[in-house]
Amino acid sequence: MILARINAAAAAAAFLFLAGAAEAADPNLCAACHGDAGNSTNPAVPSIAQQPAQFISTSLFMFREGNRKDPQMSPMAANLSNAEMNELAKFFAEQKAAPPKHKSSAASVQAGPELTKKFNCTQCHGAKLLGQQHIPRIAGQQFEYLKVQLRGFKAGTRADIDGNMTSAAEPLTEKDIEALTDYLAGLSAQ
Amino acid sequence: MKSPISFAVAAAFSISALAQDKPAAAPPPSWQQGKPAALAESTLHPFAPHLTGRPSKDLPLDKLKVPAGFKVEVWAEGIPEARSLALGDKGTVFVSNRNASSVYAVIDKGGKREVKTVLKGLDSPNGVAFSKGTLYVAERGRITRYDGIENQLDKPSEGKVVIDNLDPSRQPGHFWKFLAMGPDGKLYFNIGAPGNIVMPNYMQASINRVDPAKGVLENVALGVRNSVGMDWNPKTKELWFTNHARDWLGDDSPNDTLHRVSKPGANFGYPFCHQGDILDPEYGKNRSCAEFSKPALKLGAHIAPLGMRFYTGKMFPAEYQNNIFIAMHGSWNRTTKQGYNVMRVVVDEKGNAKMQPFLTGFLTDEKADPPMWGRPVDVLVMKDGALLVSDDYNGILYRVSRAK
Repeated sequence: MILARINAAAAAAAFLFLAGAAEAADPNLCAACHGDAGNSTNPAVPSIAQQPAQFISTSLFMFREGNRKDPQMSPMAANLSNAEMNELAKFFAEQKAAPPKHKSSAASVQAGPELTKKFNCTQCHGAKLLGQQHIPRIAGQQFEYLKVQLRGFKAGTRADIDGNMTSAAEPLTEKDIEALTDYLAGLSAQ
Repeated sequence: MKSPISFAVAAAFSISALAQDKPAAAPPPSWQQGKPAALAESTLHPFAPHLTGRPSKDLPLDKLKVPAGFKVEVWAEGIPEARSLALGDKGTVFVSNRNASSVYAVIDKGGKREVKTVLKGLDSPNGVAFSKGTLYVAERGRITRYDGIENQLDKPSEGKVVIDNLDPSRQPGHFWKFLAMGPDGKLYFNIGAPGNIVMPNYMQASINRVDPAKGVLENVALGVRNSVGMDWNPKTKELWFTNHARDWLGDDSPNDTLHRVSKPGANFGYPFCHQGDILDPEYGKNRSCAEFSKPALKLGAHIAPLGMRFYTGKMFPAEYQNNIFIAMHGSWNRTTKQGYNVMRVVVDEKGNAKMQPFLTGFLTDEKADPPMWGRPVDVLVMKDGALLVSDDYNGILYRVSRAK
């Protein structure tokens, strides 16, 4: 168990070294955290497969410019050019989202559709919550990641391109966030 | 048999339990504020720019049209969210943005344009103005000056604050600012309304000016929902500005407008009266549009007029002299889209204004989402008389000149 952790850390270190080197725009480098073809298996790391290209490029831009900050993502985006961001965005937008591993509770499945309407999720993310243009797919997104984002928007600490998410998250209670994210994380993206 | 009291307690308990299950609906994002219940299901939404820009080679540039005798070309690209434009004394073009935090400079080097990041870490630096060697930048809450910046583009010295505390409430809605240097040596800028249709506070929905040497706010115009373009008539020195009317009153109403400030402190109607002759269904009750200044021209509903400049260059035909060019950034709040053009406005001796298209072709499918592939934001008359047009959707500057 301990050995496995050390190996993982070593792999991550080697990967960071590679990232700093020549091929900054190689999508395989993203896979170390975001999973094969951008399908994350870590509840805290977002899936980037089948995200709208404009959402991915916008996110990378925000990390590079410092509007969004993250100990892992900020250094990854720091040296990417706009063209490389566009290439990565196009690649992951074309990957297919894997079926979600998350199993939503029966209560969330029942309450979810009404909550996503009441809190304006479907207004921008679309009827099936698959995202559009600069707005991400949240159907089948990772549970912990979604929670952290919503809490960040509510607290006003998560960068927000047009203020819409900060407004939308403002009235959410912690109970609402739990129910919404539990519902969203179990939704199919197909 | 239950006593009346215990019944009342049980009822109160069940009501409060119900209230917990059904929290009040979320306040809508500022752009949805004022949307009537009848339009609750509307999927209309503003469009966000491609912040990383898009290469011009991937865009349908052949769709762009200018009048006979003119040509349009890409002048510079790769400028994230290119918004407002300012021209330095030495020919540097300064380019702002509203979602990012940098100011960019474009330098023409023998027919090739170099893009430099000159200022970083700013807060929505949408306003740029240049005068006598100094670049002024309007951020969300303050205006700063960068003296002698064209001599130190690679390492500008620290900015000095001209005026601060322009956004004390961190307002939602229209918090970004347009900035222009007036013929009186004062900086003019907007403070927009904090939502679609709301009562502005003591400093919002206005155009103001500040003497850079004094740092004291002076009001120029009131009742202005949001103006993101202004310029002075070269003959009369009067201030003209573009204004965005409210949303969610239908596809064709109210019009966005072009205005002339004939007396300082004039009120242009927001939130009571729109386009000079339509009372707001909520705020306009018991009011009259007669108490407000009328627009010089109605520009069309939802077309979002941004940058405007009087043409003072020598390149275009004589009849273009002192015409107004207006960049239209919309529409989004309309089921069938219109706009996305640069328009030419001709004002006659009597003050009558009429409008015609000048640069068109960004709007390709009025029913699609998005309906356009580019969005004009600002216009700038270059020293040689050519007209630059910024496009924040793609991060591109176009140059319109006379075809040889």
